[in-house]
Amino acid sequence: MDIALRSIFLFFFVYLLMRVLGRRELSSLEPFDLILLVVLGDAIQQGLTQDDYSVTGAMIVISTIGTLAVLTSYLNFRVPWMRRVLDGRPIVLLQDGEVIEQNLKRERITLEELAEEARAQQISSLQDVRWAVFEPSGKISFIMKN
Amino acid sequence: MADVPDGLVLERDRDLEGRRHDIWVRRGLLLLIAAIPVVALFNVFGQRPETHTLVSSAASLKIYAPSRLRGGLLYEARFHITAKADIKDAYLILGPGWAEGMQINTIEPSPANETSDNGRLSFELGHIPAGQSHVLFMQFQVDPTNVALGREQTVELKDGETRLLAFKRHLTIFP
Repeated sequence: MDIALRSIFLFFFVYLLMRVLGRRELSSLEPFDLILLVVLGDAIQQGLTQDDYSVTGAMIVISTIGTLAVLTSYLNFRVPWMRRVLDGRPIVLLQDGEVIEQNLKRERITLEELAEEARAQQISSLQDVRWAVFEPSGKISFIMKN
Repeated sequence: MADVPDGLVLERDRDLEGRRHDIWVRRGLLLLIAAIPVVALFNVFGQRPETHTLVSSAASLKIYAPSRLRGGLLYEARFHITAKADIKDAYLILGPGWAEGMQINTIEPSPANETSDNGRLSFELGHIPAGQSHVLFMQFQVDPTNVALGREQTVELKDGETRLLAFKRHLTIFP
């Protein structure tokens, strides 16, 4: 029972952490982020299984986490207001070449970072962009004027 | 005005109508998460040891052990007995709270005898001459499934049947 409870608690704690950290921190996978993810995974594993090396223990953890992942995904799909809580909503960062400062500030994105993201998508000038949308996945979508 | 991409609602996703307070909820939650390591620095989740000193006319006993632990931790408890008068046959008696859900890895130096004193652990330490000390080291590991909130841990020092000192403390074990 203990191991299932630990799995449930850690699942929701990690979920909360990921939501609270902000989308940008999760969307990029720089070397440091990669190391951070591995360290995070290791720390979680220790708290989850502790000294339980059994196949049964691993099965309990995996099935608990798998069930919770499907459950949250189902809630996301079936309950619209839960979508806002679980996944978040897109945010418009730029319209017709004009940045929306308050939205950039809210997501801790600088103009330079926005331009960098645009360049990564072969967009040389933000003036050519009709919409820039910060998606719940952490990616920035650019829709061109023409 | 530019065509709005499918799925976007300008009032909600650009002007953030009805979403302005979301950021404060997120910041509040972030603050709560950031508070965890700060609280941990203040030993709320253990395992910094504490020292309790008990003194009587016959002896003094210093107990050095953490009172907040977490599942799986290794820790030490140290019992430092100083005899003010001759203790002919010292017994250190620990309540069951010291052993419940714990692995007792080491007891050094080994007591002359170990037995049960009405359900408590009784360690016979032998003769401690006046002015001398006896230090008993015990190493434990908390069972990963052991969770406790204010579990009582009693300590008693006896000379034969005579109680010299008694103490009670409480142990919290976080999951």
